[in-house]
Amino acid sequence: MSEKGKQRDTEEQAILEIRDVSVAYDGLVAVNGVSFCVRRGDIIAIIGPNGAGKTTLLKLITGLLRPSGGEIWLKQQRVDRVAPHRIASLGVTQVFQDIQLFSNMSVVENVMAGCHVWTGASFLSTGLRLPHSRAEERNISDTALRKLSLVGLGQKAFYSPSSLSWGEQKRVGLARALAAGADLLLLDEPYGGLIAEEIGKLSQLLLELQHRGITILMVEQLTDVVLDIANQVVVLRYGEKIADGTAAEIQGNEQVIATYLGNGPLEGDER
Amino acid sequence: MRTVKEKIRALLSGREHRMVLALFAVVLMTVPLVAGPYGVIVMVDVGLYSIVTMGLILLMGFAGQISLGQGVFFGLGAYMSGIITTRCGLSPWLVLLVAAVAAGAVAIVVGRALVRLRGLIVAGVTLALNLVFCSLVVSLRDLTGGATGLPLIPRLPLGGFAPSNTLFSYYVVWIVAILLLVFSLNLVNSRTGRALKSVNLLAGGSEDTAQVLGVDIIRYKVQVFAVGAIYASIAGSLYAHYTGCIEPGAFGVHFSVLVAIMAIIGGMTSPWGAFLGAGLIVSVNEALREVMPAVVGGSTGAYELIAYGSILVATLLFLPQGLMSIWRRLQPQERFR
Repeated sequence: MSEKGKQRDTEEQAILEIRDVSVAYDGLVAVNGVSFCVRRGDIIAIIGPNGAGKTTLLKLITGLLRPSGGEIWLKQQRVDRVAPHRIASLGVTQVFQDIQLFSNMSVVENVMAGCHVWTGASFLSTGLRLPHSRAEERNISDTALRKLSLVGLGQKAFYSPSSLSWGEQKRVGLARALAAGADLLLLDEPYGGLIAEEIGKLSQLLLELQHRGITILMVEQLTDVVLDIANQVVVLRYGEKIADGTAAEIQGNEQVIATYLGNGPLEGDER
Repeated sequence: MRTVKEKIRALLSGREHRMVLALFAVVLMTVPLVAGPYGVIVMVDVGLYSIVTMGLILLMGFAGQISLGQGVFFGLGAYMSGIITTRCGLSPWLVLLVAAVAAGAVAIVVGRALVRLRGLIVAGVTLALNLVFCSLVVSLRDLTGGATGLPLIPRLPLGGFAPSNTLFSYYVVWIVAILLLVFSLNLVNSRTGRALKSVNLLAGGSEDTAQVLGVDIIRYKVQVFAVGAIYASIAGSLYAHYTGCIEPGAFGVHFSVLVAIMAIIGGMTSPWGAFLGAGLIVSVNEALREVMPAVVGGSTGAYELIAYGSILVATLLFLPQGLMSIWRRLQPQERFR
């Protein structure tokens, strides 16, 4: 296949394209000219030490931050100037590092809140409980229960999020994101704070989601875990991309070995 | 034993509220039979305050926006109803609806300006708006009657005639209050209610998370601000036709602060809190009017403020979630373990 043909093929498979994206806070460059492409159905890991710009990159994709330069394309639509709720409606959602479950809702209500993006009953129709609104609520509750069961928390639907363990809270966050029906899931340090057994279960769950056609883009510092399951790994350092490839390619990359995977943690990495 | 799915369905269907609502309605309909004329007058006040407080609970308790300016919309409803019905002779019922829509439209404009502000800044701006509103009412003497008030506002008609007795006003006010309660309960137990709770930074919400889940936070904040204004406007219109005469003092900052106190005391996690807060404060007010002149003589105004302040402090110390939290503790629900 010609180079042009290969490029077109990649573009058609791409669910997300980051093109030369930069952003700065108060004069400090957090992300600098980063480009990469996310293929539909892959698990992509962005790794790098603290301050590498990983979380910032996720916020740029969800629209919570606007880039100062570059372009972000999602499903052939440019989204770097689009409001976050509109980006969510294109099938993207994020689970934050600190999960941010709504403490003023029960576990099941949290997951039901995830269904907001694909439902549309108005203020008036919900207040009047019109038939369309009632049917939608039934659909929402069924979806929420299915997602809670998928993460193994069906019996804790009415618990307060604060009464759950950290690992359980992470699973509720994931169930909420799944309830949104997103086909691109952004996970910020999903393995953070989990014990070994939970890490294994989460990896299994992520592979199952991939099998169902969901693309997963995750930011992680536990490199050994994500290298096992990721199809593609992007390595950032000080806001710049230093490597992009398969796990094997990354592990063989001299710059990455020298700075990150070599003899212990990268300089500046707290782990 | 009910399954999780059945429990959710019961919550969504509002079945858990229906029995309480029915009982509440029956009690309210029979109150005039046992309370006497004075009790009915007091209950009309409770009903009017409850409507305004309910709107504020949706705004403050669910969406986390503090407003100390509900008096503006209460006044807008009252003055629009008063002015249009006395000058143009239009049906008070029609004007009530027009005033509610107009108050909602004003709230959308104001709400869009306020939406990017947070917490106490919103409270300060709405308080200032209330002061401006009262000054405007006083200044526009030809239209509003100025400081002396606007008299001769017609009663709400029923069919071809306008009943002048308080009992009719009682039933009108409480039927409207119950209808708005049903609307509010439906709202908070739905997609809309969850969206509002998700943006409530005062009670565990997160705007970032809400947005990545598809919630248009500006739209919801503006809409709930408008709903609060519409509730206040409806209460204002009912008040104008009930009293027959309105003056700017009734819509001042004192009113707005009192409504906020009622919301806090009643509890802002449920529209039911409005009735508890309004009921308690109006009852205390009436009790003071009866007791204080006999005990210490003179006006009860200063004692009212002391009583409101004391109740508010006691509530914040011992029942930070308001009187509604007592009800919740008695419930065997599993909503929050």
